[in-house]
Amino acid sequence: MLRQITAATAAILLLSFPVAAHKVIEPGLNDKIVKGVFSANPETRWNRLQQRDGNYQEIWTIDGDRLNRVVFYGGVPVGEPLVRERDKKRDPLPEVTGNMLLPDIPLLLERTYRTKYGIAIMAIGRQEPATLDGRPAIAFDYTFIDPEYEVETKGEAIAALDNGRLYLVAFEAPSVFYFNRDVQKFRDLVKTVSLTR
Amino acid sequence: MRRAAFCAGAGLAALLPLAASAAEELPLLPPYVAAYEPQSVDERGMWMMADEQEKLWALSELRVDDEELNAYVERVLCETVGKDRCSGVRIHILNVPAFNATMSPNGAMTVWSGLLLRVRTEAQLAAVLGHEFAHFEMRHSLKGFEQRRSASDASAWLGVLGGFAQVNTGDAQVSLVGSIFQFNRGQETEADLLGLKYLAQSAYPSRAASEVWQQLMEESDATAFGRKIKKRDTYRAGFFDTHPTSLSRADYLLDQALAYNDAGDPRSKEHYEAIQKHLPKFLADQVKLNDFNGTEYILSGIAGTTGWTGELLHARAELFAARGNPRDLITSTTLYLQAMDAGYRPPETLRGLGLSLVKSGKRSEGARYLEDYLAILPDAPDAAIIKMYVPK
Amino acid sequence: MLGRLISHLLVLSAALALPFAAAAQEKTGSKDGFSLQQGTVRIALLEPRILVGEQSTGGMFEPNADWTEQARENLEQELTAALGSVGNEVVRLNLNVTPEADSLRRYNYLFGAVAGSVVEYQFFPGNRLPTKKQEKSFEWTVGPGLRDVAALDGFDYVLMIRTKDAYGSTGRKALQIVGLLAGVGVTSGEHVGMAGLVDVKTGDVVWLNADLQMGGDPRTPEGAAKRVSQLLEGFPGMEPVKP
Repeated sequence: MLRQITAATAAILLLSFPVAAHKVIEPGLNDKIVKGVFSANPETRWNRLQQRDGNYQEIWTIDGDRLNRVVFYGGVPVGEPLVRERDKKRDPLPEVTGNMLLPDIPLLLERTYRTKYGIAIMAIGRQEPATLDGRPAIAFDYTFIDPEYEVETKGEAIAALDNGRLYLVAFEAPSVFYFNRDVQKFRDLVKTVSLTR
Repeated sequence: MRRAAFCAGAGLAALLPLAASAAEELPLLPPYVAAYEPQSVDERGMWMMADEQEKLWALSELRVDDEELNAYVERVLCETVGKDRCSGVRIHILNVPAFNATMSPNGAMTVWSGLLLRVRTEAQLAAVLGHEFAHFEMRHSLKGFEQRRSASDASAWLGVLGGFAQVNTGDAQVSLVGSIFQFNRGQETEADLLGLKYLAQSAYPSRAASEVWQQLMEESDATAFGRKIKKRDTYRAGFFDTHPTSLSRADYLLDQALAYNDAGDPRSKEHYEAIQKHLPKFLADQVKLNDFNGTEYILSGIAGTTGWTGELLHARAELFAARGNPRDLITSTTLYLQAMDAGYRPPETLRGLGLSLVKSGKRSEGARYLEDYLAILPDAPDAAIIKMYVPK
Repeated sequence: MLGRLISHLLVLSAALALPFAAAAQEKTGSKDGFSLQQGTVRIALLEPRILVGEQSTGGMFEPNADWTEQARENLEQELTAALGSVGNEVVRLNLNVTPEADSLRRYNYLFGAVAGSVVEYQFFPGNRLPTKKQEKSFEWTVGPGLRDVAALDGFDYVLMIRTKDAYGSTGRKALQIVGLLAGVGVTSGEHVGMAGLVDVKTGDVVWLNADLQMGGDPRTPEGAAKRVSQLLEGFPGMEPVKP
């Protein structure tokens, strides 16, 4: 009985103590983003968060997830959601579809945020054509209220559809101060992003 | 714990079975004692927390700051429970697209936008407000703070209060959206029955209480159907997480209402007039939740009173467009066109129609509507990307 | 009976899987080179969040209004005295629901996010960002826009104080003993606190102190004094008062 308790407790503690810590991302070529889907050449240091929400996501941050985060989603195939579903049957998330157009991508992100994270206030702003590693892409802005700290957060993203897969790179930071301070680092980073798979 | 002068729970058995001919005598409400001050240590602690939480609601980004809408909800409450009772209540409307209302022991009530979208009449709104007020009148002793751990719809909307006040506490302390106060099942039943008494006394028909539950269960069934999961007889998810129910709840509410045999105008048109300004936003928030069949059910419910207005047709079109199967796009195209026929021609409709056509392979027809969109809103934030689908 | 108790403990241990459990219990960070000009500064104490109650057997928090009121009075008095003892003026600011106060409100939310990040990503070793690991690195800010907040006119610093005390009930203390026997950690009582100082001119967090096992019972004046000295431990320019 005691062994069962200690095993269960150990399992619980394992979940709450991340075994692998966050990793530093040094400036320079990095071709292992989302397990090799993206490559990029950052000019500044970042931290790669150990946690991620699903197999298609990777998060980099300077000061912490809620202060400045770059999120990579790639390559999400048709029929899959951007992030992990809590319960595929009872709580399904919106999916990448085969006939998506670029203007559908911001809506996919918004629906995902509202459905999964309970974000009740979100708005998409500017949407423009762009390129991501030579592919036709959409660049867009958004704002939402982060429910954890109730901070108004701005987002800027670029996304492309290629060969039945969605690729999206976004930057999110509080509207007050952080977004303006750090967005250029994101824009510089995006210029170096290429899709390897 | 103080209770109202009558004991609502014990009265139920005596009120059934139905009298076929004579209507049940309408219940007398006891004189209302306002200006209650919390007595026990526990009560005062609860009130303090209630005050803290109410301050957060007042400051919250989620607050719907519309005097008219607040006045509407207040008026319905006052018409339900009477002026003496309603004067002690402060209402906060929160922008959350799920069905819920909460009551705190200090007189603060919240109403979520998803509730305003789902009730179909003033009487149904009155039923919910009356039920929540009943908890307040009966000074229901509170079971402490429940931890929100389930993955249900309602708790998915409960954000943790920002910042350091919650550092590593483990308990859901002052949760912003959900109320920290929860009542036990016996208290819920008491509130149902006192709520019915208020309705019966008011100009609203008391049958409305049962209707609310029936509709919630039907919506839940629709969602389940869409997700191909088994319909439940005991409803536990979503709103039911905090107000667990089974079929019997709708039943006993209906039985009691039939026994009262009170009539009244439920005022359905008036409800939609009151929320008209907010309806497109409430609809848009609901449509984006990835619950196809549940949303369809809600839309049909509204259409039952208002008919298929342009807003509803547009919302339905967006629903199909988002799901986006080839057949769905034909449907969405038709619905957008119907919205326009009904005189509803905001830029969003033109945009939606244009994109649905483009995605269906009808690029030149689609381009026509997108051109119209750009003509109305040349500086639209998405003008540049929409232009991509309009050949020069 | 024992079986039920043990399965109850399992549920508790899940609820108690606190990231900070075995790690360092208190931490202070301050901006490199920061020092406070004693006797010359005006500090805005931004609506301190003080909460006192009991922790039930099941670990739920039961607030106590009397205790909280006492603690609030005592702590604010002691804070004013302690900071004032070196000649600083402390003024309490409330958060209101007015358009003018909107800006202050948004900064208050951002303070929370920044303080949360400090604790989560710098203080807590299991979750520390590698770029924040260097000893002297304490670079946290809400940005220079803070000086434009009208409500902060005339103030040099904003002080944030947040404390929560949950005294273990008898049932909880008993559970703690049983937990020890079963090899499961059950904490009884929770006394967490945080104090942070932000420079109004730059928005920089010049000092932050987080303590997850605070001492001193704030319901008594003596206890509040001890608590304040712990909250202000490492406060630039303060003499540490160890009772």
